[in-house]
Formats: sequence, C-alpha cells, structure tokens
Amino acid sequence: MSVRLLALIPVAVAINLALSAAVDAVGLPLFLDTTGTILATALAGPVVGIATGALTSAVNSLRNPTFWPFVVVQVLVALYAWGAARAGWFRSLAVAVPAGLALGVLAAVTSTPISYLIFKCATTGGIALTTKLGQLLGLSDLGACFFGSFLSDFTDKAVTFALVTTVLHGLPRRTAARFPLALRAIGRPGI
Amino acid sequence: MRALHPFTLIGIAVALPALAWLLPPPWGGAGAMTLALALCAVGGRGAGSGVLRAAVLTAAPFWFFLFLLHGVGGMAATGLRLTTMIASFLWLIAVLPPGRLVEAMVAAGWPAGAAFLLSATLSAVPALRERARNIVDAQRCRGLHTRGGPRARIAALRALALPLVLSALHEVDERALALETRGFSGSARRTPLEPPSDPAAERVLRWALLLGLVGLLAWRIA
Repeated sequence: MSVRLLALIPVAVAINLALSAAVDAVGLPLFLDTTGTILATALAGPVVGIATGALTSAVNSLRNPTFWPFVVVQVLVALYAWGAARAGWFRSLAVAVPAGLALGVLAAVTSTPISYLIFKCATTGGIALTTKLGQLLGLSDLGACFFGSFLSDFTDKAVTFALVTTVLHGLPRRTAARFPLALRAIGRPGI
Repeated sequence: MRALHPFTLIGIAVALPALAWLLPPPWGGAGAMTLALALCAVGGRGAGSGVLRAAVLTAAPFWFFLFLLHGVGGMAATGLRLTTMIASFLWLIAVLPPGRLVEAMVAAGWPAGAAFLLSATLSAVPALRERARNIVDAQRCRGLHTRGGPRARIAALRALALPLVLSALHEVDERALALETRGFSGSARRTPLEPPSDPAAERVLRWALLLGLVGLLAWRIA
C-alpha cells in the first residue's frame, strides 16, 4: 500500500467520527458514520475502504465497545461503495441518493441479525425506541428489530451518499488528480 | 496489571465476553460480569479510577432498553453479557496505553504501517473533532442558521460538513510526505524503543485462554 493511501485511512476514520459534531449542530436524526468509509473507497478502492471501516469500529469501540460487532456493516458499506464508484453512481445527486437509499436497506438487513442475536435489539436509544414502536405495531421481535434498523439507516445512507457526491465534485483538481478512482466515481474518467 | 504484556491484556479482555456468551446463562454471564467489574475496580485504579463507574453508566441504558423490549425475564442473560463486554473493554482501555500496544506490535514483527494506522488514527480523531466544533462556531458567526425545517437543516449540514471533509482531505498529502521522509515506503523492519517484556508464563496463559475457549465452544456445540 502506498504511503498516500496509508495516510488517507486515519483521515477517513476521523471524518467518520468527527461529523457527529456537525450532525449534533443541526439536530437531524443521522449518524453519517460511514462518510469516511464511502469516501475512502471512492478515492482509493475497497482495501482502503474496508480498513477505514474496520478501524472506525475499533476506535468507536474505545468509547462504547458495543459498536464492535457492527464492523460487518462497515465492511458491507465499503464493498457497496466500491461497486457504486465503479458504476459511476456518484456522478450526480439524482443517481447517488437512490443508490444511498438502496444501501440503507442493505445495511438494515445486515445489522438486524447482529442487533437481534447479540443485543436483543437494545442498541442505541433511538433504534431501541423505534424497535419498541415496531413491537407495538404488532411486528415480531425480529421484524421490529429490522423496522428500527431500517428507519435509522434508510435516510442516513442516502444523506451520506449525497454528501460524498458533493465532496467528490468539490475536490480541488490537484487533489482529484492524485486519486484517479475518484474521477471514475463521478463519471469523468478522462479528465 | 498494567505491567502485563499488551497481547495478554487483550487476550483477557476478549476472553471474558466470550465466556459470558459461551457459558450457560444466567450464571455463566453473572460470573464473567463479576470478574470484569472486579478488574475495572482493581485494575482501573490510578489514572483510570472512574473505570468501574464508566462501565456501569455505559451498561445502564442497555439494561433499560432490554427491560423495555423484553421485560424482566428477557433482560438478564443479554444484560449480563453486554455488561461483561463493556466492562472488559473499558478496563482494557484504562490499563493499556496505545503507545505500548504499538511498541508490542512492532516488536512482534507487525508491519510499521499497521502500527502507524493505530497511533495516527487515535491522534487524528480528537483533532478533527475539535476542528468540526470550530467550523460549527465559525459558520454560526457568519450567520448560518442550524435550525428550521428539514431542507434548511440539510443545507446547514452541507455548509458544516463540506469544509470539514475537504480540509481533512487536504491534509493527506502533508501526512504522506511526512511518512515518506520517515522511510515508511521502505520494507525495513522497525526497531521498537521500549518493547514490552513478554515472559513465557504470559505466552502460556494466552495459549491456555485460546484453547480453553475453543474447547468450551466445542462443548457447547456438541
């Protein structure tokens, strides 16, 4: 791995974990904790993305160890982002947002068994409460668990994809030239 | 406790939650949790005197949500396991400084890049969080409204997140240059300055933990 890619990983992890300050400021029910993972994958490929995701879960676990089992979701996000970058799904918001919504469904499907088997769906406050809402609506325990995960992931991943698309399009030309994969991700491989 | 080799400390911190999950509930989980909380109380003395309190405070919401979702009967087994996991890892963080772990990784022959990733990430996260707070303050000073309807909030989020992410990416080149000048692009093995001692007894303990857990898993599956 080149030193540039090695230097990118800690920065991408820090992006994953620092964006919570911006989210808190606007008071939206979002996490944005996969922004760095998706961005690193679009810039430098799946190995860098997976390393970013795994390291994000590890560092998050220092604050709250219950984050660690969800490393699987970070890996899935990196792999999906790699496919999205290769397909040029970051070329516009009109393409990126539906791609993010689809990732939200996949992320919910992946996190539900982890949440159900390890935590009995009692993860973060918001998800636990929406899971309770699902129970009150008559869903089974597993169905309510998916309901809670789905509500949190669906919008979050769409906004994350939109944000990454905006960043990729806003990259200075000098920086973008150092990451040729980024140009492909936004549908301009020839620049 | 802090004098133990970092890999031994990690082994203990991983083994306790594994025991909580593998031993029959509720007594297996209760025993593992008691051990983990005892480690927090004893091993967390000094710099990490609040470890036991932090473990209890982190675990408490999980007990509440488990009670909310599953009632009294359904919360015990999972609550004991989660508390063990939380207490074990918080104890590990209290007794194992990252620098010591990096030294142990380098001494064990791990690539310098892996050790760099750990130490660089741990220093980059608080720095970028501080910058994020500064950007929020700066944008508010410029008149950015962070409240209102969803569209207004999304627009505000863009104005906060974009400068943060772009400035962070700008740093990548500087960091890469710093790594180049320190010879990270070469393949020579690094020499740790203060490698932690790794006595034979601790190596035996780590193997015993691993074999014990594999045996326990086989017993539970059988």
